[in-house]
Amino acid sequence: MSAEDMGQLTYRTRLVFAVSSLAFLAVLAISPFKDFRREWKQYKRSYLRFAQTRPDTKKLLADYRPDIDQIWLPGMNIVDRCTTCHQGITQASLSDNAVPQPFRAHPPIPHNVRDWGCTVCHRGQGPATEVAEAHESTLAWEQPILPTRFIQASCGTCHQSDLPQTPQLTRGRELLAELNCQGCHRLPGIECPAMLGPDLTNIGTKVSREWIYKWLREPRTVVDKDGNVAVNGYETEEEPRMPKFRLIETELRALSGYLSVQKARAVAPYKIDARVVTAWSKNPELISQGELRFRQMFCSTCHSLAVTRAGETKLIGGNIGPELTKVGSKVNPDWLVTWLRDPQGYLPHTKMPRYGWSDEDLYKVTQYITTKLTDSDLLSGIPQLGQPTEQEVQLGHRLFLEKGCASCHAIEGLSPQKDFGPDLSALGGKNASELEFGAAKIPHNLVSYIQAKLQDPASVNPAARMPQYNWNQADLDAITTALLSMKGAPPTSALQNLVVPRKEVAFRPTGAFAEVYERYKCYTCHKFNGYGGALAPELTYEGSRAQRQWLVDFLKNPQTLRPTLILRMPQFNMSDRDAATLADYMTMVMQHPAANPAAVDARQFTPAMAALGKQLYEVKFQCQSCHTIGGTGGYVGPNLNNAGGWLTPAWIGAWLRNPHGLIPDTIEPRRNFTEDEVRALTAYLMTLRQSIKPQKTANSAGPHAAAQGAGQ
Amino acid sequence: MKLRLWVSALLLITIVAISGCRKNAEAPKADPLLSAYDTELDWTDAQKIIPLSYQQSQGKRIFYQQCVWCHADATPAGPSNRSNLTPVPPLLNDGATLNAESDEFMQNIITLGGSALGKSAMMPPYGKMLSSEEIRSAIAFTRVVAQPPYQPPGRPASQYSAK
Repeated sequence: MSAEDMGQLTYRTRLVFAVSSLAFLAVLAISPFKDFRREWKQYKRSYLRFAQTRPDTKKLLADYRPDIDQIWLPGMNIVDRCTTCHQGITQASLSDNAVPQPFRAHPPIPHNVRDWGCTVCHRGQGPATEVAEAHESTLAWEQPILPTRFIQASCGTCHQSDLPQTPQLTRGRELLAELNCQGCHRLPGIECPAMLGPDLTNIGTKVSREWIYKWLREPRTVVDKDGNVAVNGYETEEEPRMPKFRLIETELRALSGYLSVQKARAVAPYKIDARVVTAWSKNPELISQGELRFRQMFCSTCHSLAVTRAGETKLIGGNIGPELTKVGSKVNPDWLVTWLRDPQGYLPHTKMPRYGWSDEDLYKVTQYITTKLTDSDLLSGIPQLGQPTEQEVQLGHRLFLEKGCASCHAIEGLSPQKDFGPDLSALGGKNASELEFGAAKIPHNLVSYIQAKLQDPASVNPAARMPQYNWNQADLDAITTALLSMKGAPPTSALQNLVVPRKEVAFRPTGAFAEVYERYKCYTCHKFNGYGGALAPELTYEGSRAQRQWLVDFLKNPQTLRPTLILRMPQFNMSDRDAATLADYMTMVMQHPAANPAAVDARQFTPAMAALGKQLYEVKFQCQSCHTIGGTGGYVGPNLNNAGGWLTPAWIGAWLRNPHGLIPDTIEPRRNFTEDEVRALTAYLMTLRQSIKPQKTANSAGPHAAAQGAGQ
Repeated sequence: MKLRLWVSALLLITIVAISGCRKNAEAPKADPLLSAYDTELDWTDAQKIIPLSYQQSQGKRIFYQQCVWCHADATPAGPSNRSNLTPVPPLLNDGATLNAESDEFMQNIITLGGSALGKSAMMPPYGKMLSSEEIRSAIAFTRVVAQPPYQPPGRPASQYSAK
């Protein structure tokens, strides 16, 4: 280029300038254009257009601003911009399903979104302004949104006591307790029983080495394609509490050998009266009489038996104790007699009550169990193991600690390893990067991790010591929900104040009552002040409800008040003294303040009042839809044939005024009775009397489908 | 010199174009069962699972606690009480009977009981036990299990889509 050409604008330079200016302009325009096209701004505009199509446009747009909207709760560390797009979240008129997301209103819940934000329950990234980043996990932000199927986990993070609105979470917590997860893991707020698995100090006196070998190899026998569990080949809805451990042959031999020599206290065989034995041993009725007694005592309330009906075999009966179909081939007969006479002598923490046996009953029932509840093939396919060698016992001892057996099963003189499994108290708050996925081909998030680990512990960690459980989908989801709810201690004190702690419940009676209560294990089925089982009616205020004489008669000869109930109170063969002790204590102590006996004088009830009450019962309120009197009426509530001999007038009155004041979770609705109606109905019910007949033979009853009471 | 200008201009444009064209990530495709609060097996077809919304799931809880005893043929505690009652109460999924009743009527009969609305006094009032919100959710559950399916009256479904 010559010197005079320098500085001259040629056509080409102009072109270059023109093009690059245009390019720059375009580049500069991109930024505002991109800003205009931002996802949240599109939703903002979209909401404007949407609001125009609704009749209440003005109300919907009252708070509208074109900017990012956020809920800022510094005390809870919450910055939630979700409402930027979810603009109709508090608009009641946008609640129906026809409203497109993200504009639909939140369903009504006890918490206001403006006070709590969104991520506190739904998780996800509050500050994000893009759909994908807010809802899904990215490398920088790791908390994905919680699938709504597990949303109850969020309730449980603060509400450590159970809520009626969160059945899935409650079920999950129950499962964690039932399956003894606490043997190995730290799980805050989950009840821990005094005995996780049975104490094995004397197991060698109870079962053979071969049986232990078989049980360790396969505590449940079959799982069908639907995931239904079969125990000893019989279908059941319940998972056996003993999970399956992945043990190899040497380990099976060593552990069975070690356990079979655990005979700290030899069984002292009980001699059944020789006269009883001679009288019955040749009697062809012996076994059937034993079976009859087994049924009459309602063993099936806690234990199940396999029953074949119409070609279908199922386990029928309760699940408080073990299933007994083949127990005769399992246990040593001498041990069985000793056990039945005094279960607590063998296992101090057992739930099995101590019955008052006559030698005759004991002989009949044990003969029935050892003859009928057997299976000669139970141990087929198990090698003859014989006496264990010293090495086997030593290896077994080591394995018992290393495999975690000692975490649930006590053996005298053996102290279990502390914190055997990982602490799970903060599992629900973990980020994906804190989890070990191994070679598992699953999405890398917490929910998938928990579910994979629960279904097959080895899938995420081949060296896992955790045993194998079998879950149906509902239980898997429930237990996942409960685990997701455990997010550890809240980081700030402001959040700590939000936690609703679990109520500590314990019922510690004293004196003679306590002794009888422990012997019959009343709390296995009944609740007292929130403590105890849920199988039978709560007895916290039983002294207000029932008359003393009725209690004595009932305890000596329990009769069900509910016609459809199959799991009934067992026959304890209670002595007069035991029955009186229990009845006296309940009448004196277990009183409800709302049912004041002094406030009601039964002498004021006149026949005219009773007649009016009968009229109200039958015509105006039609109580017979749920209660039975005579032969007619419904199955929902207890039958009232003996209401006058059973209930106290104070209780009836208080109950009619407000049943939930006495028993909060009863299904009887609260009615609007006037005081006159309450008096008339009480007068009528007090006229109903029926003597308790001696118990009919339960021949026809048999074990039926498991059933719980229809509420109180 | 010119070359350098051109090159830098081109570079700039490419960078901008690339950053501008980054695909907007799509919202995750929700599995209808994973995003359901609860599910209910169809009463007439055990193969069909009905996903429930939050409100319907609360209704399901109340139904199985309070209503199942008389408005179903099987209950968690064995035989149903339905056969003991005259007139026989409708099954919960009996769309032929219940679809014709408005939400207001259902709300009233549950709150005030059968006798207040000229129906059987065997239906007790729940107004002092359940909140109106709980009763609404029980009705929502009734609607979702109804056979034949329930069609809400009034405004046709909006065709408006958010994008």
